[in-house]
Amino acid sequence: MTLIQIDEYDTPAGKSLAETIKASIRTPDSLGLDRCIQCGACTASCPAARFTAYNPRLLVKRVLENDRGVLEDETLWNCFYCYTCQLRCPRNNSPAKLVQVLRQLALNEGIGLENMEHFLGLGEFFAAHGISQVPEHYLGKMAEALGSSWVEFKRDLPAIRAELGLGSLDIRDERKEIRSILEGTGHFERAESLRARLKESGASEGIEENKFLNAIPGKNKSEDINLEKNGRYSGPEALIV
Amino acid sequence: MKASPEKTAAFICHCSGNISDHIDIRSLKNALKAGGISVFDFEYLCSSQGQALIKDRISRHSFEKVVIGSCTPSKHGQLFKKCVRDAGLNPAMLEIANLREQCAWVHPEVSEATEKALSVLKGKIRRLEKAEPMDAVVINIRQKALVIGGGIAGIAAALSLADNGIPVYLIEKNTSIGGQMAKIGKIFSPDKLAEECAMCSLSPLMNEVASHPAITLITSAEIENLSGSSGNFTVKVRKNPRYVLDSCVACSRCSNVCPVLMENEFNCGHKDRKAISLRFSQSVPKTYAIDPGHCLELGGKKEGESCGKCVDACRVGAIDLGQQPEVLELEVGAIVVATGFEEYDCSLKPQYGYGIFENVVTQTELARILGLNGPTRGKLMRPSDNKEGFPANNIQENKIQENKIQENKIQENNLQENHVSTPEVPKRIVMIQCVGSRDEKAGGNPYCSRYCCMAALKHANLIRKKYPETEVTICYIDMRAFGLYENYYRAVQDMGVKFLRGRPAEVIEKGDKSLVVRVEDTLKQELLELPADLVVLSAAMVPSEGTQEIARTLNLSQDESGFIKEKHSKLKPVDSSTEGIFVCGTAQSPKDITDTISQAGLAAARARAYITNSPRTLEHELASVNPLLCNGCGKCQACPFEALSLNENGRIVVDPLLCTGCGYCVELCEREAVRVTGFTAQELLAEIDGVLEEGDLLTFVNSGIAYLTCDNIGNSVLSYPANVKTVKVPTNLVVSLEMLEHAFKKGATAVLMLEDAPDNPKAETIHPFAVEHFEKLKTRLGENGKRLYFKKAYVPNTKGLAETFTLLAGES
Amino acid sequence: MKKMEDIPDRKLLLFKSCMVSQEYPGIEKATKYLFDRLGIDYFVSEEQSCCTGIGHYVDLYGQLTTTAIAARNFAVARKCGYPNIACMCSTCYAINKEACELLNGNEEVRAQVNSVFREKGLEDLVYAKGDLDERTNIFHVLEVIFSKKELLTEMTEVDFSGLKAAAHHACHYYKFRPEDMIGNPENPRLIDGVAGACGADMLRWYEDRSLTCGMGFAQLHIHKDTSLKVTQTKLESLRKAGVELLLHMCPNCHIQYDRCQPVIEKEFGSEYDFVHMNIAQFAALALGADPYKVCGLQTHSVPLENFLEKYGII
Ligand code: SF4
Ligand code: SF4
Ligand code: SF4
Repeated sequence: MTLIQIDEYDTPAGKSLAETIKASIRTPDSLGLDRCIQCGACTASCPAARFTAYNPRLLVKRVLENDRGVLEDETLWNCFYCYTCQLRCPRNNSPAKLVQVLRQLALNEGIGLENMEHFLGLGEFFAAHGISQVPEHYLGKMAEALGSSWVEFKRDLPAIRAELGLGSLDIRDERKEIRSILEGTGHFERAESLRARLKESGASEGIEENKFLNAIPGKNKSEDINLEKNGRYSGPEALIV
Repeated sequence: MKASPEKTAAFICHCSGNISDHIDIRSLKNALKAGGISVFDFEYLCSSQGQALIKDRISRHSFEKVVIGSCTPSKHGQLFKKCVRDAGLNPAMLEIANLREQCAWVHPEVSEATEKALSVLKGKIRRLEKAEPMDAVVINIRQKALVIGGGIAGIAAALSLADNGIPVYLIEKNTSIGGQMAKIGKIFSPDKLAEECAMCSLSPLMNEVASHPAITLITSAEIENLSGSSGNFTVKVRKNPRYVLDSCVACSRCSNVCPVLMENEFNCGHKDRKAISLRFSQSVPKTYAIDPGHCLELGGKKEGESCGKCVDACRVGAIDLGQQPEVLELEVGAIVVATGFEEYDCSLKPQYGYGIFENVVTQTELARILGLNGPTRGKLMRPSDNKEGFPANNIQENKIQENKIQENKIQENNLQENHVSTPEVPKRIVMIQCVGSRDEKAGGNPYCSRYCCMAALKHANLIRKKYPETEVTICYIDMRAFGLYENYYRAVQDMGVKFLRGRPAEVIEKGDKSLVVRVEDTLKQELLELPADLVVLSAAMVPSEGTQEIARTLNLSQDESGFIKEKHSKLKPVDSSTEGIFVCGTAQSPKDITDTISQAGLAAARARAYITNSPRTLEHELASVNPLLCNGCGKCQACPFEALSLNENGRIVVDPLLCTGCGYCVELCEREAVRVTGFTAQELLAEIDGVLEEGDLLTFVNSGIAYLTCDNIGNSVLSYPANVKTVKVPTNLVVSLEMLEHAFKKGATAVLMLEDAPDNPKAETIHPFAVEHFEKLKTRLGENGKRLYFKKAYVPNTKGLAETFTLLAGES
Repeated sequence: MKKMEDIPDRKLLLFKSCMVSQEYPGIEKATKYLFDRLGIDYFVSEEQSCCTGIGHYVDLYGQLTTTAIAARNFAVARKCGYPNIACMCSTCYAINKEACELLNGNEEVRAQVNSVFREKGLEDLVYAKGDLDERTNIFHVLEVIFSKKELLTEMTEVDFSGLKAAAHHACHYYKFRPEDMIGNPENPRLIDGVAGACGADMLRWYEDRSLTCGMGFAQLHIHKDTSLKVTQTKLESLRKAGVELLLHMCPNCHIQYDRCQPVIEKEFGSEYDFVHMNIAQFAALALGADPYKVCGLQTHSVPLENFLEKYGII
């Protein structure tokens, strides 16, 4: 199984952008891309359009015109994936879905890699813990913005969870199933190749050490706290009247 | 009845060389004579001399059966039928052999054509041996029509029927006719580029309905049920009490004393109506009515309250609080359904704030606001500024209506008055098009509602004329001003109405009840927040509750949106799925007044034609049931045309008006009690026996489009091999396994079933059954099934059909 | 449209959410508390993994990876005999729903996912068409609570009358599959229904009611200014509407509102005097649950003490 095969599903080769998008498994068969009447309901509803130069209607138009320049349009990275456009589109088109495929196409061409930099390690963390967390880089930024109270909370999290009678953060995955699935579906190869291209392009900003971070437990290796047995809530019932 | 050969005659037409140049008439005659048949030939059998010859020979020799070898029966079949009938024979004793279009013209080789002609004639002669006389079916149609719905469609249809001499019942569920058109105030004129008073056009028509001697108007009435059969319907109508007798002189004394002020559905829920009132001042009939739900006396209010003020006020004693509902049974020959539309419920699209923000209204509500008899007496204002309302003042209104000239005067006065903009006049109006239309989302309708672009233009224009300081913006996706309406669109553009191409996302309310419309101007690629004092939604047209109900009660097909479905969108635009029931106006699909009236005229014409064609002699093949064999199992009731039903004796009866003679029922009956007259298995087997020879391709041809297409091969000077033999059938559903096995046993190399393409209502119904039937036969034939073919015939595809014939005939 | 009677109350796999676990664990505890009180039969599996939502919506995971992870979680649900997945996070809901649609409707995807399982010796994870039904097996926790709202009214102990609250429904719940939700997607009222049943006075409408919370997955990180601008816009309309409490149904929204509100106050120089809660936390409070030991309100950034005092909870 090669990387290309996996890409095939998100961005299958097609005669045009529209064909690729329609054939992508990210979009349903019922997608009304060809039926778009350029009514602008999507743009009028779109938070990204309201606050940035992004315009989903135009994006659809450019896709239908097979204007590949759209992949280089930086506003492509402004979409919130909120699906408001999809909710409002009278033709059952979904700019939100279009953008998802377009970003994958852009990444394939090495465009927009800098937006991905700090997310590329999510897969490793997932494989190790079975859960996801905000990438460390951004955790650091959050710590900066939210200050000590949040950092303290993060430090106390295990204790709070214990008090609430909640189990371990990490999942039980003795067979390393998550890793196998990420591997088998080509995720690591994909992440690796993106990382390599990013390095090549020199756009990487690198990860700086963040003093707040060290205060946060569970960011590296699994720290099994309170691993409770499978089952119903076993916490104190005292509060039930 | 079996005739000896001597009692059978064959007449052969030369068609002035059209036939005789390609077929050796002499050898044909000799061959037939050798079989003991009397044969006559003539230059033109269709000429008056030819017809005289036929009649003369029949009576002179007392022939009992007749074959005519001539052009296609579609051409002179009726003529020759009349000939034999005149000569005293039952028309079932005549068969026509198609020697021109399907023989002489398609087989260039004389010897081959002659041989085929002989076999065709033989087939017909053999078939006649099994023929039985047919009784003509005669139907009497009731000479009355029923029109359901008293909106403009129903009014137009009723008047058209009545003017053409058909007595009509017109049923309306409200207390007055007039429908939606009575609400809209103005209609636009695409040629005068102006708006005219809708009531001034409608009111005379309504009065005409009331006074027309041939129209029986029944208001406050609903259809309860339909029975009987096409042409002879019995309709049960429930007439609800209006509690006011016809002696009412509409003086309005009653409503002046009535203490109950209630929401007025006619004024879009505005609270300006009394419990006893006229629906609107020009109501027809002009008889007051009491709303029993709100009347204090009739139980609208709490225990112990009573009133009866109106009874005392009425000087003519017209109020009868004890009136009871009545059930009427109407017997009619045809029905026109004109039950109309209602406005889409815009609260299903809450992003536009309808029902949440006071100053969001629909076009119909705007029409009421602009209407002189509306809640603001025609003054444009925001609903939020109209808190106290304008209590109904029927006396004043009545005076206005008493005299139309006076009404117009007041209207002018009003116009002038309103020219002075008052502070409450909204300064910025935004209209949103396609609300609930052209919308694939749940709760929306995929279709275009057709009227709303023009309604928006009309209202925008009216407002711009009356209040030049008010800015009107129409947010549209496409402006649909079809045909000459474009002229009006241009005129409205000249009036300074703003057009913004974009479908708004949402409407927002500000603290002062003003609004903001969030929309992208897609032409300028600008995201805008349009401030508005009033937002008007151009709501979709949806089939009215009444339309949906009628469709259920009368068992009519509906489309996926609930409109009543016509039989064929192009060819039968006003015929419903039931014979004798027609549909027009917005009950059938969204349309404007002009189209509604045109369609109502067509529905009336169709209904009239249906009614006046009476007594009706049915010539086409029909299913017939042998009552001795039928045990009433009811299997044949699967008839796709619903022509078969059980009678009170538990026997199946055929409705000859519904039966198309398709033959679907023949196979369903296990007791062989059903057959199609003129196409019994015996007759068809005999014809196959006569016509088929070793090495032939046998084709069963549907007598409709398929037969026509075969004829057209001849008309187009194309040819195919002479071993192609055709047997005409009403549809291929009458072809049985026995016939096919017989044909193969007799040496047919292949059998083709030629069916009408599903391009017309009848064929659309038959086609799937025919395909299914074909597939079943194919399997049941076993090995021979490989040599059974099926083809759809299209009139223009003569060449293709000739090629198919050639191809299949070449197989062996 | 989904009907209320179609919402199951048995055999629910309470689907853990990474963001709930790491930021607002009280949501999970409060949900369990509610489920117990409402007599709902549920199960929490320690094998269930993250849905991939975070990675998926920052464009990292391919749809096939996401679908395969979902298939694994479906196998977990199947194996433990709790096939009705109830998500606390709207993105888990959307991810699972979409993956289930794909697994049932796209043979090629299903075959590919299964071949990965087989290749890796994970035969027991293989997904057979129809193992789960995207419409009748995947729910949001709120739907389950909503379907029991009459019971909530009976059980409510705290008097919230006069509380002016507003709802923020999660985009990935109602905009993602609008045809598959309870009520009109242009006016979702599930939160309103539940909070109303607990005695809150819910704001019928406010400006920007349908505006997204602003988190936008990568947006909060790569375009932080726009992200916060969106949130601030929303907070502004809530301020204008004069609410005391904003209720939501998704930990991502929760982070955006609660964690970011103080940041926004600082950056935009504005002040907001309302607080935030997940609807499960609020309903649990109404039923008398402990604000800290059950609802975990100590994990919030916007302090709730004034609020709790006002309603006599502390
Ligand atoms: S809302 Fe739909 S139809 Fe309208 S412009 Fe956007 S994608 Fe096209
Ligand atoms: S999903 Fe993206 S394009 Fe669609 S409305 Fe949200 S931000 Fe705009
Ligand atoms: S007539 Fe105009 S407003 Fe009405 S549905 Fe059609 S396009 Fe839309």
